[in-house]
Amino acid sequence: MSTAAPGECLLEARGVTRRFGGLVAVDAVDLAVRRGSVHGLIGPNGAGKTTLLNLIAGVHRVGSGLLRFAAQDITRDSTAKRARAGIRRTFQNLKLFGEMTALENAAIGLHAQTHGGFFDAVFSTPRHRREERSIADRSMAALHFVGLAGLAQARADSLAYGHRRLLEIARAIVARPALLLLDEPAAGLNVTEAAHVSDLIARIRDEGTTVVLVEHHMDVVMRVSDEITVLNYGRRLAHGTPAQIQEHPAVIEAYLGRAAETDRAQA
Amino acid sequence: MAALIALPWVEPDKFALHVISLIAIASIAAMGLQVLLGYSGQLSIGQAAFYGIGAYTSAFLTAKLGVPFPLALIGAGVAAAIASLLMVPITRLTGAYLAVATLGFSIIVYLFIKNEEWLTGGSYGFIGIPRAELFGYVLRDPRSSYYLNVGVAAIVYFVFARIEGSRFARAINAIRQDADAARASGIRVTLLKSECFVIAAFVAGLAGSLYAHEVRYLAPNDFTFWKSIEILIMVVIGGVGSLAGAILGAAVVVGLPEYLRAIGDYRMLVFGAILIATMLFGEGGLAALVATLGRRLAVAMRLVPKLPASRKVAQ
Amino acid sequence: MGALSLSQFIDLVVGGLAIGCVYSLIALGFAMIMRATNIIHFAQGEVMMLGCMCGLTSLWLLPALPLPVVIAVGMASSGLIAVAMELAVYRTLRRRRVPIMNIITATVGMSILCINAARIIWGSEPLRFPELFATSAYEFGGVRISPQLFWIMVMGVAIMGALQLFLKHTPTGLAMQAVAQDQEAAQLMGANLTRMMAYTFAISGMMAGAAGIMLGSMFFAFFEMGFITGVKGFVAATLGGLGSIAGAMLGGILFGLIETFSTVFLSSAYKDGIGMILLIAILLVLPSGLVGLWHKRR
Repeated sequence: MSTAAPGECLLEARGVTRRFGGLVAVDAVDLAVRRGSVHGLIGPNGAGKTTLLNLIAGVHRVGSGLLRFAAQDITRDSTAKRARAGIRRTFQNLKLFGEMTALENAAIGLHAQTHGGFFDAVFSTPRHRREERSIADRSMAALHFVGLAGLAQARADSLAYGHRRLLEIARAIVARPALLLLDEPAAGLNVTEAAHVSDLIARIRDEGTTVVLVEHHMDVVMRVSDEITVLNYGRRLAHGTPAQIQEHPAVIEAYLGRAAETDRAQA
Repeated sequence: MAALIALPWVEPDKFALHVISLIAIASIAAMGLQVLLGYSGQLSIGQAAFYGIGAYTSAFLTAKLGVPFPLALIGAGVAAAIASLLMVPITRLTGAYLAVATLGFSIIVYLFIKNEEWLTGGSYGFIGIPRAELFGYVLRDPRSSYYLNVGVAAIVYFVFARIEGSRFARAINAIRQDADAARASGIRVTLLKSECFVIAAFVAGLAGSLYAHEVRYLAPNDFTFWKSIEILIMVVIGGVGSLAGAILGAAVVVGLPEYLRAIGDYRMLVFGAILIATMLFGEGGLAALVATLGRRLAVAMRLVPKLPASRKVAQ
Repeated sequence: MGALSLSQFIDLVVGGLAIGCVYSLIALGFAMIMRATNIIHFAQGEVMMLGCMCGLTSLWLLPALPLPVVIAVGMASSGLIAVAMELAVYRTLRRRRVPIMNIITATVGMSILCINAARIIWGSEPLRFPELFATSAYEFGGVRISPQLFWIMVMGVAIMGALQLFLKHTPTGLAMQAVAQDQEAAQLMGANLTRMMAYTFAISGMMAGAAGIMLGSMFFAFFEMGFITGVKGFVAATLGGLGSIAGAMLGGILFGLIETFSTVFLSSAYKDGIGMILLIAILLVLPSGLVGLWHKRR
């Protein structure tokens, strides 16, 4: 969908700030996401991770600062426009279309890649038939990829929680986006399910999609991220590989707590 | 389908045919609202505006300008559709705000119809609307107009039924359930919402034209917000989301008072109560009721195996 | 059109303020219900109308009834009717967690029910109120004001003032405000949700009833009077900022003035249209109303 070379910066945030009333949720944050990587975004509660994600997705308007995607300035673009340009996302609180089947939910992800409209449907034009077939095939492939192929005809709101999380991901990746924003995809999952999600994220990256991952499950983040940015109080605290972050004193103090430091001293 | 075609020969009662014509006309407007409310989730209580615009446009074209009926019919739909483009900014709104905005629009159109006497005859009404005429054949008796009205209603029904399961239907369904998630998937929400308004308006305009040529007299009082509410009642009673429900609802709202003169004055009272009851006891409306009864009957007659209670069926 | 003479101007201002008070009272009802339940109560105008009808009926039964009592009767009846609506229908719908659209549709149904019930009970002819006020104009430093409009303004302001005092200085009032802001927290503090909701509807109903009597005495009472005025009350509430009590009061007065002055420029046939256009304009341009604008500037 976009044309930045591998290893180059696919998504760039420069000095991005966002206020809500008197609270500065995101404070002059810089972020550089390399194409083909999984970029973790962590920080204590209220650090501004989800807000930053929402700013990238276009849910909130940036107060000041710049957002660049594939060398294009997207700071003023609407959510739908960014989605069409190749930025897809999942939601922390799951926003599935409950009344539709899993397959239909995934199919929505392909809406922007196709064109058939009202008249195409009424007259069953060749374009309509071609597209519907393609949509069905690709949606099924996406469900297969996340492991939900057997539940394709099940109503979304009848699915188990873990499956619903997977379905959100399926809907977001069906169009093979250049950038995938995952907002706590492992929230509420048990250890096995969380591991499955980690593997899934790695496979998504291997398919060519760049991933920004906001997560609280430390094992998921540390295991699958190539790079991590740490936020605290809306500001960027640290940036580096998982190993570097785990050793970073400021991060340990802010996030993992002094107890962890004491544990290490005694080890 | 065959039953509908054969009906006028079996039951040639002129009054009955006239009532069914009216039901068919109302159901066209109701089906339009169904696309708006049932499919895309936009509560519009202003459909009477487009119904009225269609009616007066068709009347004006045929009576004052001598335009042939088929063109006037399409013209009515087009006029209403063009008027609905004024609604495009409003489609940004949601929920009750959208509803009130459509109500406001409906009131403005009503005032226009009432005051611009030079165009519409104002409170004196628009008289002398010619009968519908197709290819030189004047529709003089209730039987011919029955075929016209039921025919157009059937066409509208089939057109809307065709879009089920399509990309378009999925998208507006998604918008109804979660507009933000739809946006995040790249759907142009406002554009699609507006499309639905245009479609509903066009269809309401068609209904208006048919109405004008069926009763051949128009008065502003036929196109107040009460008419909008009547159309809403049809959709709600019939079942929000069900195309067949819109027809059932129209049959109840238009047909019942004609046959139960006793209700007459209490008509709207009863409908108000039914509206509340439907909201309290289940929004499937008549369509769901019929479907449930039908299924129970089929199970009882062993035509269909009884579904185990634990399995959830995809709709 | 020409220039306005001073007395014409004063007439317009007084007329605008008086009808503005009426709109404010209705707008208050919308705002309170919106804050507490997040729904637009379509039947609010009908509550007003029923309060007016009941007040008028009491005057038929006891022609010597003084004005404050008539108003009290009107307010009491509309308050009770509003509570009945809440307890019989709305509360059940909320408990069932039906989608908001359904609740709004139910209020539309309630509106239809009330209008037609009123038509059956009181007939479809407009009904005049007997003379409630002195007929000769009051004079304030050379300015002549009709007593009716004068007293309507005074009563309107008095009622709104009383409401503010009630909300800010009584335990019940504070509890109602708490519920409007955060239902869960208020319940944890011991507020009885059902009762608070009932009070909310009762008070907004009472406001509407007072408005109804005022409106009825200014023009006349008839079964459909609630509909358009109800919509206009909603316009006023939105203009001020839906959900804001102060906004509702401000919006009502402002809208009353706008509407009255618009008759100078527009034919009166389109007078109702002004409100509709204003409504659409506000919803599109300034959805959080004047109060929202004020908050942004701070």
